[in-house]
Amino acid sequence: MSEEKQIVLECRDVSVRYGDVVALSGVSISFARGRIHAVVGQNGAGKTTFARAISGLVSPDTGEIRIDGRALPSGNVNQARQAGVELVHQSFALPPSFTVAEAMQFGAADGRIYSRRGLEKRWQTYLDSLNVNVKAGQRIRDLPVETLQSVEIARALVSDARLLILDEPTAVLSPEGAQKLFERIRHLKDVGVTVIVILHKIREVLAIADTVAVLRGGMLVEGPVECSGINAEKLAELIIGPAARPLEEDQKAALTGSLDTAHAHLAQSVDQAAVEPVLKLTAVSTRPDSDGPPLEDIDLVIRPGEILGLAGVEGNGQRTLVRAISALAETSEGKITIEGLDVTRASLQTRRAAGLRVIPFERNVEGLSLTSALWENWSARELLKRPLLSMVRPSELRQRCGTALDAWEVHYSNVTQHAGSLSGGNAQKVILSREMDEQARLIIAAQPTRGLDIGATAFVWDSLNRARARGCAILLISSDLDEIMDICDRVVVMLSGRVVGTFTPPYDLADIGAAMTGVSK
Amino acid sequence: MTESIVSVFRALIFIVIALALCGLIFSVAGYSAPDMFRAIIDGAFLRTGALQQALRWGLPLFITAAGVVISFRAGYFNIGAQGQFYIGAICAAFAADWLNGLPAFIVIPACFLAGMTGGALWAMWPGILRLRSGADEVITTLMGNFLAVIVLIYVTSGPLKDPSGSGQQASSRPLDAAYRISTSYGVSPTIIAIAVLVGIFMWLLVNRTAFGVLSGLAGRNATMVTWQGARLWNIGLASFIISGALAGLAGTVELMGPNGRLASGFLPAHGFTAILIALVANLSIVGTAIVALFFGGLASAALYLPVIAGLPSSAIDIINAAIALFITAKSNIVDRFLRNWRKRVWTT
Repeated sequence: MSEEKQIVLECRDVSVRYGDVVALSGVSISFARGRIHAVVGQNGAGKTTFARAISGLVSPDTGEIRIDGRALPSGNVNQARQAGVELVHQSFALPPSFTVAEAMQFGAADGRIYSRRGLEKRWQTYLDSLNVNVKAGQRIRDLPVETLQSVEIARALVSDARLLILDEPTAVLSPEGAQKLFERIRHLKDVGVTVIVILHKIREVLAIADTVAVLRGGMLVEGPVECSGINAEKLAELIIGPAARPLEEDQKAALTGSLDTAHAHLAQSVDQAAVEPVLKLTAVSTRPDSDGPPLEDIDLVIRPGEILGLAGVEGNGQRTLVRAISALAETSEGKITIEGLDVTRASLQTRRAAGLRVIPFERNVEGLSLTSALWENWSARELLKRPLLSMVRPSELRQRCGTALDAWEVHYSNVTQHAGSLSGGNAQKVILSREMDEQARLIIAAQPTRGLDIGATAFVWDSLNRARARGCAILLISSDLDEIMDICDRVVVMLSGRVVGTFTPPYDLADIGAAMTGVSK
Repeated sequence: MTESIVSVFRALIFIVIALALCGLIFSVAGYSAPDMFRAIIDGAFLRTGALQQALRWGLPLFITAAGVVISFRAGYFNIGAQGQFYIGAICAAFAADWLNGLPAFIVIPACFLAGMTGGALWAMWPGILRLRSGADEVITTLMGNFLAVIVLIYVTSGPLKDPSGSGQQASSRPLDAAYRISTSYGVSPTIIAIAVLVGIFMWLLVNRTAFGVLSGLAGRNATMVTWQGARLWNIGLASFIISGALAGLAGTVELMGPNGRLASGFLPAHGFTAILIALVANLSIVGTAIVALFFGGLASAALYLPVIAGLPSSAIDIINAAIALFITAKSNIVDRFLRNWRKRVWTT
């Protein structure tokens, strides 16, 4: 193949370390021009570091990066940009108060002075030429996330990028949004741009990429290999590695994206109606507040040993429901009981004492204090059970935290390190180790696998299944229907603060989808 | 542990830079920089009595600064230490006035109780406003400072006015000598004991209680502790009250110790220096003790600046401000230097 000779980017023995942590070690890889390359790996495998290294954002400690055969001076973003390399970040970096035109101009200024209208005209033409469907006068903060990403990509292409690096672009997108993004990427390939896209869903890799390279523990374990020559199972094994716990068949199937999983484990469903429910919501409504739509007349029952899935388009009251159960939203009518105890007016502390545990939506804000030590994060729940002025022994807490984190297979170097220094999957495991203790009776898991890689996702599911086997009641809120249909014993769908449908296996994707969008009945 | 050593080094480097800059400015202005440094080092630590003077200024500063640490750690920027300090002193002065004639073992504890209560109440109303309705405590505590200054003027020229005063500066009737806990010289075993007790209790509170850990978490991420079931109301209000009570305690110490009377506008920078100390010490209690003594030394050196270097004693305020500026500015250069240096030291 002639493309093989056309190497656009080459890494030779690149290593990056952050303090004591080796993020990349000895990566040697080269990418051919004009194709779509995927780089996959678990959280913490070094994907983002890799993206940053090849775009000049971080300088490698050893090794060199060559673009078009010329060595890139280490850690020089401008040089990399001049060589035609552009990085689109995982989290967007556009100023929210800017208009689209201003954001485009920012970083691509040509030294001329424009009127507002002139500026908008200049960029409208450009955006239209890229098929980005947006008005140049709109504010960044008003844009939906898909459009925002298109604008980011358009902005990266201003400077005539020949190598575009996308860092987990699908993490923020809906399935349809991802499809649109893929079309856009293919279009870029057609006009001769080389694309390196960092992903962690195998299904997406196989859908978009020409070649795939796998990172694990900061090392290149495979690739780049042609996607046509590899299947999902093989790729999953490469990503997780030999040390991974064996996955159950249905989990593996779900992770690799084949939809038709058998609900084998659901056959065991005993006559559940007779069992006293752990959580019971009777006609619960909440007062409207600034944080999402209020609940209207919600009836919900979760019994021991049951995982109830809560599906719905995001922003239809799922968050309010979790907050109402956690005493963080005010219940105006109705009754909430946990283990038969009326907690409608009780504080979260009382509810937690009754066995409630919450894995919140926002891992890094509601779940953990990123700038606090791991042991502080871990012991918060327990310390709150004691009087404020009770004496504690930090050394003892640190030791117990270490034991717990080890048991949950968290990769960390020291319990005094900041929670923010952990990768997403490890951070989630810290929350799991805190929230899924032996006394837990009711576990609210809100988007527990969002942004996690395949290994960590499997770990979370496994933990939920084990908690269910112990007799916990679990409420799983997820926007990933595959996930919901896979591990839930029952599914309810929320729309505008109401429960609009209850489903039992075997699930019909079309029915659930119709309920989510309000088409049915 | 290494982390805190590095942060102390970091602070020291900034202080040296700040002093060097001040030396440069003063020498451009026609003063002698070497004389200035000599005055500071002599006046702070070397001269006979300099150390006592450093303690005289440093101990009350430490007490107030320890309180600032408590509220800052919990994430509340109570910058009203100055006002709480004044109100504490005023309440103690009223208590001493009303109980005048009773034996000292009743009056002195009563004054301390009054002073701490006064300071606590003066911190409590901004706390309640913040926790109930989200009113920014930076604004309310700052306003509290101005109000306290006005109250002090009123008290010293009204209810507690000293009729025999010179009229140059309004002040209250001097305390009966039996009720003083130190001479005008300013250091006594009582004051040292109070400061040590404050240090021990605050250290325990921060490092060995559930409150300490939880308030530290709440200060960094209040949302997270709310999801854990914490009531920010308890942690927050307690932080305000403790920090106010300690500022009030320092006010009482100043009144019943070195000052012996209320004077309108006395020690106008006390609370702000205490905030500076807490920040320089990176909100650690041990660090606060060390840094407070250092700033106590600077305050004591202020007396020598006019004598040795011919500088106005207010030059020390310029030096304080320069240090504050350098400490609060985040300097990547120094941090990078420290990181490399530490890597080299710790790996070899």
